[in-house]
Amino acid sequence: MAISKENYNVLSDIVGPEYISDDPVICEGYRSGPGGYENGLGYERVMTKIPGCVIMPSCTEEVQKIVKLCYRHNIPYVPYSTGFYGPRSHPHVEDALLIDLKRMNDFILDEKHFYVEVGPGMVYSPIQEECMSHGAYVVIGGGGAQASAIANLIGDGWSPLSHRIGLPHRRILGTEVVMPDGEILRMGSLAQGGDDAFWGESPGPDLRGLLRGYTGLRGCLGIVTRMAIKTLPFQPERLEPTGITPNTALALPEKRVKWINFVVPSKEAQVKAMKEIGHAEIGGAVTKVPLFWRAIAKSTCKEDFWDIWGKENEETVANFHIVRVLLIGFTSEEQMEYDERVLMDIMEEVGGVARRTKPSDESWIKNADSAGMWLMCGGYVSVDYVIETMSQAPEHGPVYADLKKKYTPPLMPDYGDPGWFQSFEMGHQGYSEFLVYWDLDDDTNAVDQFYVDTSKMNIENRFYTSLLGPHQPLYLTGPKYGPNYHEYLLKVKDEFDPKWMSHPPVPLSHDIFVDRAPWMENMKDWESPEDLEKRGYKS
Amino acid sequence: MANESDVRYYKPKAEFSLDITDIQNFVYDMSRCIKCKGCTWVDHTYMPGAKFMTRCPSAEKYQFDSYGAYGKMRIGHAFGEGVLDWNEKALEIIYACTLCGACDVGCKRNLDLEIELSLESLRVKAVQDGVGPMPAHKKTAENIAKNHNTYAAPHDKRKDWIADVKPADKAEVLYFVGCAASYTNKEIAQSVAKIFKAANVDFMLMPDEWCCGNTVFSVGMIDEAKALAQRNVDEMRKTGAKVLVTACAEGYRMWKVDYPKLLNISTDELGFKVLHLTEYADQLIKDGALNMNKAMNTRMTYHDACSLSRLSEPWTPYEGKRQWMGCVEPRLERRRGTNGVYEPPRDILKAVPGVNYVELPRMKENAFCCGAGRGTREAFPDLATFSAEHRLEEIKHVGVETLVTACPHCKNNFAQAIKAHGDDVQVMDIAEAICASIES
Repeated sequence: MAISKENYNVLSDIVGPEYISDDPVICEGYRSGPGGYENGLGYERVMTKIPGCVIMPSCTEEVQKIVKLCYRHNIPYVPYSTGFYGPRSHPHVEDALLIDLKRMNDFILDEKHFYVEVGPGMVYSPIQEECMSHGAYVVIGGGGAQASAIANLIGDGWSPLSHRIGLPHRRILGTEVVMPDGEILRMGSLAQGGDDAFWGESPGPDLRGLLRGYTGLRGCLGIVTRMAIKTLPFQPERLEPTGITPNTALALPEKRVKWINFVVPSKEAQVKAMKEIGHAEIGGAVTKVPLFWRAIAKSTCKEDFWDIWGKENEETVANFHIVRVLLIGFTSEEQMEYDERVLMDIMEEVGGVARRTKPSDESWIKNADSAGMWLMCGGYVSVDYVIETMSQAPEHGPVYADLKKKYTPPLMPDYGDPGWFQSFEMGHQGYSEFLVYWDLDDDTNAVDQFYVDTSKMNIENRFYTSLLGPHQPLYLTGPKYGPNYHEYLLKVKDEFDPKWMSHPPVPLSHDIFVDRAPWMENMKDWESPEDLEKRGYKS
Repeated sequence: MANESDVRYYKPKAEFSLDITDIQNFVYDMSRCIKCKGCTWVDHTYMPGAKFMTRCPSAEKYQFDSYGAYGKMRIGHAFGEGVLDWNEKALEIIYACTLCGACDVGCKRNLDLEIELSLESLRVKAVQDGVGPMPAHKKTAENIAKNHNTYAAPHDKRKDWIADVKPADKAEVLYFVGCAASYTNKEIAQSVAKIFKAANVDFMLMPDEWCCGNTVFSVGMIDEAKALAQRNVDEMRKTGAKVLVTACAEGYRMWKVDYPKLLNISTDELGFKVLHLTEYADQLIKDGALNMNKAMNTRMTYHDACSLSRLSEPWTPYEGKRQWMGCVEPRLERRRGTNGVYEPPRDILKAVPGVNYVELPRMKENAFCCGAGRGTREAFPDLATFSAEHRLEEIKHVGVETLVTACPHCKNNFAQAIKAHGDDVQVMDIAEAICASIES
């Protein structure tokens, strides 16, 4: 049911007439695809809808009023910060209200207590610039410098800099949420009733975990309108922007910040080096560099990439082992010199050889360059994020690579590339990610099948994965990763959003996609309730 | 509203060209936008902080995604596929845009999509479909057709700016004055003439100078623009001059980029060199032919005019095939804004004695457009004013006394905003700044 004129007028009164529109051309501008993260795949084509109306609130109170009206009048709504996260952050049902949060881009830096407080419209790179100007830094997630910090932190929130700074949920401090029915929930020190967001924990259950789920719930449990994010101490010297588009980078003060690439002899040496670096508690980032990334970095355009990549083969990919380490003199030049000596000792032990490395940062410190991932093929998605042990990635990756072969083409020929991995939490954890690329003009049904097949592969091999919840069919993954993860998640959803107005039918959207898409029929070998459609959207 | 199933993918291995008269040439680019919004954010490496984060005037003012390039690409794609109908809002979205190129260079930082050409092509389509341009643009087009200038001013007054310095009848250097400096900003034309004189450079004018056609081209009136391009290039060639110099950034872009685009030739094939005054004067200064001795004791900044900076790279026609993974054959040299005219104006201003030169947080390819150009001031004065006021906030943020531009349209737009707010900032064209430091 389209939003009635009466409800439109009420919404217009809340935000002002210039910040709401149901014009079809305005709404077309909010279409999910055809390009972008996961766009061009069946999920986007089958599950996403153009919003029926778009509204742009400026503050929590306005969000609350909007949500309360939606709840009272059964208007499905979807929170939207930047829209970068592909189809899963766009409406899935007809005539939904898209709540565009970009005007809520407040920023407060508490220099004394080392945190920043932001609204959902604030993206990472300005935060990082402000932090670095005050001797602090944050992790810009792999989603990119253009990602909403709040959206990223309640979904993913990691990057190679997570080697030191810790897992994302621990960087979430005081947080304010407008719940699906419009009630306001304040977490951390904000729960005390004051306006101080400096602390993340508070009496009672820590609901930050619920906010995130495994890797985010895509707005199906309400709207985060305010969050304090912990920052960590950095070094004092300025990282100076240099160059002109498209070749821009931060010039590094070499005695305080330095990347070094090491060639190591084997995958085992790669893992050992990362573990040892973590145990020695040195470095700001420690990551594997896949050969694929190097081809991207070297190429001057899409065509150039294919020229370079076309010269590789399974052997060159399998034998390419680079560990990239970021050293930071957090406290002094002497501290960095010490770290470098320790690093060199470790590398000598594993047979690593330092290669000449540019004294600049193109990606990760301030500009996490995720957007470049679409240059080569046009279609891209990460099919898995895994936070496990350091030794899991080298075992897990090749299994992924084998499965990918079955679906190549349409997947990009990657010569058995087993993905990338890095150190988390000073080597206490390993993070790995598996990315796939395709040409949108090809028949992409196989990519949809591959996506679900990765879950089956993980289940069969008993591999842990964090792309669960709304990212995969809940009734496929939930019974295996729980054993009743799906039931709990649905109970939580029913409790907080009994009418399922907040981004329906998430978290059942992938289940419904499988049921709706004829080319997925043969993939379904698990049980799910017959009333999925009805359960996913009760209006 | 668009039919969901129809908006799908571009057909592979297709011939295409960079011809903006056919929207189908850009459906691929429009379909590959990923909403990273690199078109709107300042290059993240250069992100100055929590203020001045964006470089797209339309997105900054109107806020809805639909006004950013990411929205326009989706809307354009739907038009290209024939599944969305024009309405008033669509026209506003397509035309309430300064075509400043910020989105184009932002996108080419990562994705190499032809955003600027897509936007130009959408305007051509609006005209082809009989819905564009905006009424104010039609008035400007009538003025140009009738009086050969944008202002409806008498054509025979075009050379009234000439004062002390007289042009030669014949010279290697031809000064293309442009409508603004001929009629509303004569101080710029007079300053340019004095600069030539100070450097002992003979210069000539076109025997019968007409409007460059910036507005008609920019709003999609391709036939009118092409006729002007052909006429002006023919007239220029007839003069025998080797170098065309202009102090108008928009005119510069027309001559250097858009005339070749309209005539399907490369910039090199024009048969003469096109230079902005800043390039020409910078070389004169570096060669010792122009001495700037007089001090200007002021804290000064420079606003990059879009058409002189990120939009000014030379044009080369392209026809080819798009193949697997979107690769094109033959190889395409993309115009990414890398080689825009960024340094010459800065070198000039830094060479002025007494100047305390400071950069704005958003500079060069990341500059925020003043909002005046490419038909914006005529049809959307509120957007033009908003952009100038937004940029002025940044200008005041760095605490300068003098703002220098290299385009009369920027100067006028800033001057209006400064006057409206009573700001204590002096705005001058770079020709005036040079002139002030060479006059004894």
